[in-house]
Amino acid sequence: MKNFSLMRLSIWVYLALFFSYLLGPLVIMSVTAFNSPGFPRAAPWECLTFEWFSALFQDERILNGIKNSILVGLGTVTLSVAMGLAGALMLTQIWPKLRATYYTIIIAPILIPGVVIGISTLVFWDRVNRLFGLDADSFLSNGLFLTIIGQSTFIASYCMLVLVARLQRYDIGLTEAALDLGATHAQAFRKVLLPFMRPAIASAAVLAFLASFENYNTTTFTFGEYPTLTIELAQKVRYGITPAISALAFIIVVLTVFAALANEASIRRKELVAAARKSATVEELESGKLRLPGFLSSNTAAVVLVVVAMMTIAVVGTATVYSPAQCIADVKEQKRLETDLRIQELLQRRAEEKARREAEQAEQGGGEPAVETTPKPSNNSGFGGVFAPGALQDDSTEDPVAEPDAPASDSGFGNVFDPDALQND
Amino acid sequence: MPPFLKEYFNRNGIGLGSVMLGLVLFWTVGLIILPQLSMLDFSFRPNLPPPEIGGPKDLYTLENYKYLIFGPEGGSQDYNAVDLRVFYRTLIAAVLVTLFNLMLCYPIAYYLAQTKGNHIRVLALMLIIPYWINEILRAFALRIIFGESGVLNNILVGAGVFDTPFDFIRNDIALYAGLGYAYILLMIFPIYNVIESLDRNQIEAARDMGASWTRIHRRVVIPYAKPGISSGCTMVFMLSAGALAAPQILGGPSSLWFTQLIYQQFNDNSDWPQGAAYAVVLLVTCILLVLALMRVFKVNMGDIGK
Repeated sequence: MKNFSLMRLSIWVYLALFFSYLLGPLVIMSVTAFNSPGFPRAAPWECLTFEWFSALFQDERILNGIKNSILVGLGTVTLSVAMGLAGALMLTQIWPKLRATYYTIIIAPILIPGVVIGISTLVFWDRVNRLFGLDADSFLSNGLFLTIIGQSTFIASYCMLVLVARLQRYDIGLTEAALDLGATHAQAFRKVLLPFMRPAIASAAVLAFLASFENYNTTTFTFGEYPTLTIELAQKVRYGITPAISALAFIIVVLTVFAALANEASIRRKELVAAARKSATVEELESGKLRLPGFLSSNTAAVVLVVVAMMTIAVVGTATVYSPAQCIADVKEQKRLETDLRIQELLQRRAEEKARREAEQAEQGGGEPAVETTPKPSNNSGFGGVFAPGALQDDSTEDPVAEPDAPASDSGFGNVFDPDALQND
Repeated sequence: MPPFLKEYFNRNGIGLGSVMLGLVLFWTVGLIILPQLSMLDFSFRPNLPPPEIGGPKDLYTLENYKYLIFGPEGGSQDYNAVDLRVFYRTLIAAVLVTLFNLMLCYPIAYYLAQTKGNHIRVLALMLIIPYWINEILRAFALRIIFGESGVLNNILVGAGVFDTPFDFIRNDIALYAGLGYAYILLMIFPIYNVIESLDRNQIEAARDMGASWTRIHRRVVIPYAKPGISSGCTMVFMLSAGALAAPQILGGPSSLWFTQLIYQQFNDNSDWPQGAAYAVVLLVTCILLVLALMRVFKVNMGDIGK
């Protein structure tokens, strides 16, 4: 039995490690959205601030990117769900000998690297454009059109997979019955098949929108004049990062958690309602007096959902009245004090050292004059304080708070650029 | 009208049938086949200014492929060592990322698939949430952690493991962690789907007969899960070899990913045919590698995407 519990323990440890790899980065990123330093960092904690959120909402490019992303997303959802549904229906009807080839063709875009899809879309439509003798700024070379087309190429494959799974449970006899009863093909499709497929179409649409929203590899070649949110983010992240991006990520994380919890809660609620119906007596059902369980009863997801919602309202409420100015001023003051303290310490240490060395020299010294062997203070040289004995010791005490203006103080230059380095002699 | 087409329209009606056929043809021919062929064709052409395209100078040439192998004409080196090394490194690193992901995800997939209970739903939810968040933002989160004054360096220096901060980005550790992180779900889901359908009695039977824990996995679970494993590995390999965002954000300044070379050819050099040739090389090599491995491990194409 001891062996068994050891195994259990190791499983839990593994799970904990795995999920901290998975969720840890997101948690840390979210924390940095509320910390005041200009470079996103979780530690050391300075001041609680909401300024990065207001910086985010004032960023024209981000807002424009969100707008473009939604446009592209709507187009992609429409096109790829339609193509995915047609592709899935065709798969059930196609000539058996051709089926394997056909399946390989429509599944291939999932495996083709996104970069390749982007390039081929760009090259192909450019050629079509020239074939028709159109200008370089025609509809066919429009960034919005190219992005939607390029993304739909592979997102339609995802949709197809989702839809095929549902279609396999469809009884073709239902359509035939409708046709026998005099429905037209369009009616049978709209009134029989489509309602059956609705849940799968909904999840395919959500999947398509998410895939489109976060696509980078394909879009980066096709976006033209319509940079999506992902493109804007990538450019920001590549050329310098600010906590405003963390703020955006935090908003997305919260929205995601909301959506996931709401989904869980509604599934659980349906289960509970079904169970209540099942155990109810006929009389109760007929009289309509059946008492359905409340929204929150024995539904953990719903409870958590409400708690998260209340927390969000509280945070937003705090954000409107809270001002971190005092705290930021305090931190600045504290940093100044710390710097002063360190300078004092350094001076003192240097004085002690000098005294000690002189004493040593005096002991060893016979006739030699002490001045010659004492290293000359190098404060007049072009190197600033690099060679000052105290300058290098700063590294070992590694205190990022004390170096507000030089985040790169751990670089190979020692502390040449440290503001105290020059003062300390 | 050929008989099979007639039957098709009989079954679906003229209007609905043509819409369906039109959509499928547009997708397969217009979006999948023709663009790929057009890219292939383009990769054999010289880089010309737009007015000269289709003119007398627009002849087929192997120049773009020669460039990848031998470098610029009259260059000082026999081979294009820089680009070839990037290509080689990309493939090797993608294979390593795939193996790392497989080792990381197999136990999780097995645990999720073979354990019953409410906490499994919670774990599955926690697994999916990171994938609703933008790829760029995920890479950004890792950059906060691995940066020079990032969280990890603060911890390691604080704990006295390193004296000075370790440059995770320059040493590509951040890149590998980022690529592995990005595709965890794609590895877990196929394996999970297959193992979930494995009858638990088979495992019990093997245990009753005295098989050790490793032997059960080697002889029962892994052979059964092979389609899922190969499907997951294929997707992770193709996606990490073709990744662009993670290398751009997390890659060291001196080490490029092959897709970044393609990107440079398109956007910085505006040499489209050269970029198309590189893209063709990447695509063909990856497909050949995957097919070869599938043959070695005896897996069918039909298992992919399940």
